[in-house]
Amino acid sequence: MAKRLSLLYLAASSPLILLSLLVAAPMGDMLFAVLVVAFPVALIVLGAEHRGGLGPLRVPLFVLLVYLEACVVAMLLLRGQVTEAPWVGGLPLATAIQLYGVFLAPMVFVALFYALTFERFGLRREDLDELRRRFPRRENGGE
Amino acid sequence: MPLLDRPVVAATALVYMAFVLMIGVWAVRRTKSSRDFFIAGQGIGLLVTTLATMSSIFSGFLFLGGPGLTYRMGMASFFISFPVSFTAGLLCWTVAKRLRLLSEVREVYTVPDAILCRYRSRLASGLAAVAVVVGTVAYLGAQLQAMGILIEAIFGTREHFGEYSLAVAMAAGLVVVLAYAVAGGMVAGVYTDVFQGALMVVAAVAVFYYALESGDGLGSIARRIAASESFGPGFLDPLGHVPVATALGFFFVFAVGALGQPQTLHKFYMLDDPRKLKWLPLVLGVTQTLVVLIWLGIGLAVPALVAEGRLAPLGNPDEAAPAFLLHFAPQVLAGLVFAGILAAIMSTADSFVNIASAALVRDLPRALGREVHRELYWGRVAVVGVAVAAAVFALAYGDLIALLGTFAYGTFAAALTPAVAVGLNWRRVTAAAAVASIATGMAVNLTLEFLAKQTFLPALPKLPLPAGVLPSAVSLAASFTVLFVVTWWTGKDEGDDLDDDVAAVMEL
Repeated sequence: MAKRLSLLYLAASSPLILLSLLVAAPMGDMLFAVLVVAFPVALIVLGAEHRGGLGPLRVPLFVLLVYLEACVVAMLLLRGQVTEAPWVGGLPLATAIQLYGVFLAPMVFVALFYALTFERFGLRREDLDELRRRFPRRENGGE
Repeated sequence: MPLLDRPVVAATALVYMAFVLMIGVWAVRRTKSSRDFFIAGQGIGLLVTTLATMSSIFSGFLFLGGPGLTYRMGMASFFISFPVSFTAGLLCWTVAKRLRLLSEVREVYTVPDAILCRYRSRLASGLAAVAVVVGTVAYLGAQLQAMGILIEAIFGTREHFGEYSLAVAMAAGLVVVLAYAVAGGMVAGVYTDVFQGALMVVAAVAVFYYALESGDGLGSIARRIAASESFGPGFLDPLGHVPVATALGFFFVFAVGALGQPQTLHKFYMLDDPRKLKWLPLVLGVTQTLVVLIWLGIGLAVPALVAEGRLAPLGNPDEAAPAFLLHFAPQVLAGLVFAGILAAIMSTADSFVNIASAALVRDLPRALGREVHRELYWGRVAVVGVAVAAAVFALAYGDLIALLGTFAYGTFAAALTPAVAVGLNWRRVTAAAAVASIATGMAVNLTLEFLAKQTFLPALPKLPLPAGVLPSAVSLAASFTVLFVVTWWTGKDEGDDLDDDVAAVMEL
């Protein structure tokens, strides 16, 4: 189900992103931003689904999506308000969101969840052994 | 580039080159087959793979071009580098595991090899190989050119060689790269990458510290920039100083496009145990984040110093890093950083010569239904040929090479990302869709980038895109669109054209 949704999203958003790049339109910036930020998350979902499900990854990946979208929408809404908006951690709010929010925070999320779910959703030892047993390495062939 | 020829800087650069050559000598004895030459015998552990991946991703652009771009356009430029915090996880989840497992069941050494496995199409893999060769030679030429300019500045060769200075400097650097790349192939490449990667991390963290110290901390730096006339508050606005299409176009291309970079994907084949991928996103993410700090530090410190009047306004933004290091960092650190820049350039260059060699000796012949015997021997010959050709082009057509070098990331992204990232995770993607997507990505990116930047042929039309739109973002979106449209058009039942072993890999 998650994989299907991610494929639908990638298939639908690709031409929309292309259109928003080719045609300057009102609300185009917001649309482009929202679509682009979700794109890598959709690709993660596509790769992460394992034997029909996301399992414990459902919630973290959904939170990651919402989190990144919130960051980019906030940066858009704060455009042109560097000196008027509050300063956080020594930086204007929009800059702080970019630096601490988009740059530093996702790494912990994404990398830790990958490691924590690897045994079940990454690659189990028994699956690797089974693959090696069934298919000893051979030359690569084509058509 | 200002003259860097100070004894400490030159000595550090010489020591670095000597180390790198020693690693090359050691690696010769470990390179006995084409498997050793192209994928280091698939015997590399996690830390080595991670440092090698990181250092091959980051070229001299991180140290020189990046801070210069920030000087020009402000915080928006960081949408190029900030995605590194999660692209390691994106890579592992989406492509790394399946690429590494493909090499468990097949003799797969390259990205076109993987495309041949997946789609059983010599046309698809041949086109991928063409994309790799085109992008690689251009990127390599640009790296060699940058290496020559840096060596000129470090050793002051212009004073001795006049108009031939750049050629001499490039030749000197090329000799060092070729010495270890030809002899030791990817074994040499990977272990020099480890040394280079470690150097880059140490240099980056040290410079970040000095950058913050020069401006009395991040808050003080930011306030000075915001209050200045030459930079102003807009400099700090992530989405305000440049069009949103530019800023988030960077994010789109550099986050998603990471999945199509052959110098990165190629490293996954080298990992000795696929289960070590478990910790790769964390280790790679941390090291990449640390290295990006040099761009962040210099990128913010230099405008603040200019605003304060402690540094003269830059005539050329790309001099941001040299100007900071020469005036505000201890000499030993400056030497370390310039060695780090040389390391970044050479680690990228050695990855690319190896990849281009594999494309010429292995991928393209196979796409034409032929096989090259004595792959190890011809691989070494191809390394020399590619490197010399790239250097000659860089000297003869310097502006063109610099132009083409900027295309390379976008060309790889647009040509390879959809076919690899979606194709390895969705069995319905057809060979026709892969072919169409690769061809579209390559053609659209090369055409748009060329029209955008060329000045050689005034009669050609200007770029037909709205202001601020990145050609590589357009080509990446177009390539994904074509992949899905053609998949739908050519419609196959799932798994029709997959070999059993490839199907089993895609199930895991």
